Amino acid sequence: MFSFLAKKLKFLQLLKKNLSQDQEEQNKSPQLTANLKTNLQMIKNILGNSDDIIIRPFVLGTKDQQEAALIMIDGLIDKASVHDFIIKPLMLESRSLNDNDSLADSIEELTETLVCIAEVKKVKTLDELVNDCLKGDTALLVNGHPGALIINTRGWKSRGIEQPQTEVSVRGPREGFTETLRVNTALIRRKIRDPDLTFETMTIGKRSKTDVTIVYLKGVVRPGLVEEIKKRLKKINTDLILESGYIEQFIEDAPFSPFSTIGNTERPDTVAAKIMEGRAAILVDGTPMVLTVPLLFIESFQTMEDYYSRPYYASVVRLLRMLSFFISIMAPATYVALTTFHQELLPTPLALSMASAREGVPFPAFLEAFLLGLAFEILREAGIRLPQAVGTAISIVGALVIGEAAVSAGLVSAPLIIVVAITAISSFAVIPQSDASAFIRFILFLLASTLGIFGISVGLLGILIHLATLKSFGVPYLAPFAPLKPADLKDTLIRFPLWLMITRPSSITKKDPQREKWGLMPRPQDDNNKG
Amino acid sequence: MKLEGGQISTSGLSFLLICYIFGSTIIIIPGREAEHNIWLAYIAGMTEGLIFAFIYTTLAQRFPQKTLIEINDLIYGPILGKLISLSYILYFLQLTALILRDFGDFFRGVLMPETPLVVFILFSALLGASAVRNGIEVIARCSIIIGPLAIVTSILVTLMLLPQMKITNILPIGDIPLKDFIKASHTVASVPFGETIAFLMVFAFMEKEKVKNIRKLTLLTIILGSIFLLINIFQTACTLGKTAQITLYPTFTAIRLINIGDVFTRLEALVIFAFLGLGFLKLTVSYYGATLGMAQILKLRSYLPLVLPLGVIIVVTSILHFENTIENIVWTSDIYPYYSIPFQIGIPLLSLLIAMVRKLPKQKTGSKQQQK
Repeated sequence: MFSFLAKKLKFLQLLKKNLSQDQEEQNKSPQLTANLKTNLQMIKNILGNSDDIIIRPFVLGTKDQQEAALIMIDGLIDKASVHDFIIKPLMLESRSLNDNDSLADSIEELTETLVCIAEVKKVKTLDELVNDCLKGDTALLVNGHPGALIINTRGWKSRGIEQPQTEVSVRGPREGFTETLRVNTALIRRKIRDPDLTFETMTIGKRSKTDVTIVYLKGVVRPGLVEEIKKRLKKINTDLILESGYIEQFIEDAPFSPFSTIGNTERPDTVAAKIMEGRAAILVDGTPMVLTVPLLFIESFQTMEDYYSRPYYASVVRLLRMLSFFISIMAPATYVALTTFHQELLPTPLALSMASAREGVPFPAFLEAFLLGLAFEILREAGIRLPQAVGTAISIVGALVIGEAAVSAGLVSAPLIIVVAITAISSFAVIPQSDASAFIRFILFLLASTLGIFGISVGLLGILIHLATLKSFGVPYLAPFAPLKPADLKDTLIRFPLWLMITRPSSITKKDPQREKWGLMPRPQDDNNKG
Repeated sequence: MKLEGGQISTSGLSFLLICYIFGSTIIIIPGREAEHNIWLAYIAGMTEGLIFAFIYTTLAQRFPQKTLIEINDLIYGPILGKLISLSYILYFLQLTALILRDFGDFFRGVLMPETPLVVFILFSALLGASAVRNGIEVIARCSIIIGPLAIVTSILVTLMLLPQMKITNILPIGDIPLKDFIKASHTVASVPFGETIAFLMVFAFMEKEKVKNIRKLTLLTIILGSIFLLINIFQTACTLGKTAQITLYPTFTAIRLINIGDVFTRLEALVIFAFLGLGFLKLTVSYYGATLGMAQILKLRSYLPLVLPLGVIIVVTSILHFENTIENIVWTSDIYPYYSIPFQIGIPLLSLLIAMVRKLPKQKTGSKQQQK
């Protein structure tokens, strides 16, 4: 026991040592010298013999020639701009241009005269140089000058802006985020052309060095939110960030909850709307999925299209989504509870027809529903990652085997097939909570098969208590219902007309509360006066 | 060091109070001795209940940000105050056990007669414990969801029962001996309304700027809750008539009678969740009162370690308290109204009088921070 504890303690101490060593290493990064050869040697030592590293030595000027070198990574650079705007001016035009005694007094002068690219900066340490090169920049080193110029030449093959696959809309913009961070920030900037829109970037991942950008609207964002996000992001000390899901799992409020407390979306218009409501978004390089915080439970039932179409149908659809969420978590549980414990609650004709359908089924209702639910989940998982042609084959096989054969063979009853099918369809209606609902469905199912309706009620109450405890970045998850903010109810069960959504949601932010003027209701002038 | 960091908003308090009044009342319908005049007994009982609430809220406003335990310490001194507080904690524990038992009996009786009672009690107590662990803020948030749900359910039920109601069932009005009437109305006052003494543990966590509104808010909420309750009582009395006397759970029996075009029948499953939610909130408040009070008496830094041990005591008490359901009902109507008099009206009234005579709390700027 004690030895075990001692071992643990030692392990922890080792970890701490490692961490502090890392920090020390970071602090003493070697400076770039004035000697080109030493610099190149140092760079070669760090970058090794990788094929994709291009080191291009050349000579500057004619009179007193200066040795120089360009360092870049093949595939990450835009070759045309490197050729036309860096190599060409430096090698050719420097000869014709310069008759003075020395070519450049300092390396910065090159920027003013020869390098024809917008974004140029100077670095002094080796680490900065290597990091920037690995991002796709080109480094220029000149003999006799300490430091290097970093010229932005980033450009690689990337997917174009396409319609988002996960959130398709009938009405509304068709563009979705891409894998390139810069394109994504531009997409947001194009929606909100406000000088207050702020992007703050930090690098996360010891080895992947992924750029992560926080987006918010200064003057509207929830006070303290950005600081809190930064605090949590800074704590992430891992080697690899591949997707925003990595970030999400490191910064979420309730890691053990089935409910997600951080939203994600692929649509720039959704992000713009959420930023306008005082939220902040987290963009991660290399993924089209953007995180938005804080997330409220009610957001799972909202889509951007609700706001684009007129309020009546949007409200009905929203209520439908809520209903389907409840169906998706409760349907199998209710079926089991009714057939096993509370047959008396069914109207007599229904009870009789269900009993006759179940006649000859060899399993108890619990096992029957469990097996069929399992089969459905397997079908879904099998179909989801296959090419579309094979996916269709799977669904046909599944529908035939499960829908027809299983019933006619007397293995499962037909009403249960209906229940499972309704559950499946309903769970697709509320995609943001589909993970949570699968989990809850199973728990409620277990409770129902042991305790009937009482079990379901206990389960639902337990979920309610859990939801009431959840917070997302300081905002209660069930807001604006609990705690009750009557003014915020305008955008929950029923979507009010846009001209009535006068204030920003006060559960998110209280800054700049009024977002539109009063009395914007369209009142057409009665201009065909008949008098 | 604060035991409870949460704050409760006006809406949270209102819904919590409404749920608390609905709580077990809606199931067991106390005061059935008044027979068809039960609604009169309820009106009288509610008036008495308002007087109770007036006393409690006056105390709460006199000692802002103080729980019942701290108020007792201030009024009766450290030793006598602790003794009185201890008796209150025992009362809260017993109250929680009684509520649990009411609901355990109910679910066992109407849903699963062959399942052991302990199953229902244990699961409800676990729900209560998990809510108590999360503090008063979470309890209030739950009530904001459950409260409207219960109100909507009760309105729906009343509407669907309209065809079954017969106004003749409550005639003749007022033919009841005064003694029975007073007994019935006092039972009504003591079961839901007197039990709001547990809210003296909750008022302390009201948002600071709202402390002055506590009395107005509480009285208004109680009146509102009473009206809803009265609608339910009226509906049950009209639907069941004389049979309300012989059924164990009149509201539930009435709901069973819903029949709209032979399609909407046997809707009682729909109200199970609302009933369980109401019961859960009611037991959570008194459970919370007991746990927090115990922690304050023992001067603990946190009440969390007490939740489960007290929960075990509550569960055991609620199982051992009665032999069977009938004993529970007889105890609720014949013994409990008198047994609870000192806790519900005696001590609070005495406290208020002493506080007024001694002009407590004494205005000292320095002492306020020490007493935290």
